[in-house]
Amino acid sequence: MGDNKMAIVDTDIHERAQYSDIVDRLDEPFRHYIENCHWMQEKHMPYTQPTVAGVDRADAVLLDGRPAGSDLEFMREQLLDDIGHDIGILTGALDPSPSSMHGWYEMATALASAYNDWQIENWLERDKRLYGSVHIAAQDRDEAIKEIERVGSHPKMIQVLLPIDDIMWGDPYYHPIFEAAEEHNLMIGMHHNEPPVYYGKWPRYFIEWHTLIPTAHMKQITSMMFNGVFEKFPNLGLMMIEGGYTFIPHLMWKMDQQYRDLRHEVPWLTRKPSEIMKDQVRFTTQPAEELTKQEFYSLIEQMGTDEMLCFSTDYPHWDYDSPHRALPRVDETLKHKIFAENARNFYSKLPKAEDK
Amino acid sequence: MKEQIVCQTSDIEPGHMMKTTFGKQTILVCRTPDGEFYAFLNQCIHQGAPLDKGMMCGATTAHSKPGDYDYCHHGEIIRCPWHGREFDIKNDGRMLASPDKKIPSFNVRIEDESIIVYK
Repeated sequence: MGDNKMAIVDTDIHERAQYSDIVDRLDEPFRHYIENCHWMQEKHMPYTQPTVAGVDRADAVLLDGRPAGSDLEFMREQLLDDIGHDIGILTGALDPSPSSMHGWYEMATALASAYNDWQIENWLERDKRLYGSVHIAAQDRDEAIKEIERVGSHPKMIQVLLPIDDIMWGDPYYHPIFEAAEEHNLMIGMHHNEPPVYYGKWPRYFIEWHTLIPTAHMKQITSMMFNGVFEKFPNLGLMMIEGGYTFIPHLMWKMDQQYRDLRHEVPWLTRKPSEIMKDQVRFTTQPAEELTKQEFYSLIEQMGTDEMLCFSTDYPHWDYDSPHRALPRVDETLKHKIFAENARNFYSKLPKAEDK
Repeated sequence: MKEQIVCQTSDIEPGHMMKTTFGKQTILVCRTPDGEFYAFLNQCIHQGAPLDKGMMCGATTAHSKPGDYDYCHHGEIIRCPWHGREFDIKNDGRMLASPDKKIPSFNVRIEDESIIVYK
């Protein structure tokens, strides 16, 4: 594996902080609440383990018992060096997820700053292959913008991360966040959190939740689309992380058909939604639905472009996709686009292939 | 016929498994709770995960009804460390969700205390 010749830009790697990693970076009183009061962000997933080691690959849990994704050396050994990554994009873990906190936005804002500093120091500045995501507490829009302005110009920060849960991000209230992102050449990365798919609740089974995650992604793209975010910020791109990709043609067709009927309601859209998607929305491939080669090519044809899919592993999560096994074998040109060039072209701050 | 002593019976307790080699192949020797030995290729047929990092456990069965779990085959199921796909050790390594798919298996016999794998 280490002699891999295939260029790989992995668009979804989950590094993980434990509270003990970031507590020193918090000001009081937030530090006190974690250190002395054992505060933790509330989490509600009601299911038992979906697989052998919870939501992680069983072989990614560290030998000393720390959770998967919490050690750079181990990540290098098991992923970056073993596979031969050119670039890996860090997307954080669900905990802490500042934009998902349903209250106490001051703590959320403090956590975001602490996390970003920890990420820069321990990951981005320690491995040239790794690029990062700016974590913000978007509920407090103005503080979120300050955080983007504080760390967004770091050369290895390439996107602002927003969770998909109970906020529809197309709402004009959040547009100043997109404006700040665009000003800093940052894209928006969206990743589902808890529990986005089932009318604000959890379905009865994990398999229901996991099956329906693409519906939550579709809602956010639709929200961003018809609220005019892409028209208002033409240099802004949206990366939908970890929702799969077979729903893409459906959403393009559906939005175009609705646009033909109902354009009068959203006159600020001057292009067909499908064209806007082709220009400004991208999708990470994991968890790859298992298609035959013929089905895969058919899907690409239905999208009308081969530039929307960007390979991702989702390391170290349980449904990790192997770059060698997850997708059907396709021709070299398409393979190169999906595994590297599409992401390089999307993220303006990533080095181009010739810069290597 | 290619055959090889891959380990000793005392190396694996009932209900456990061990990674070893057979020629150039990395294999997985499983000992089910009844003491029997089985050998498979140590690679998931889905995306190639190392099966020895998974677990031997039981499984919920097709006899379950909605809302009522039937769980048995204790220690007779290999569960992949990545995607959790389940393979039935005593049914030739067949995948529970797709029995037409199976992990490549090897023959096993015991001589004295030696576990011999052969094709």
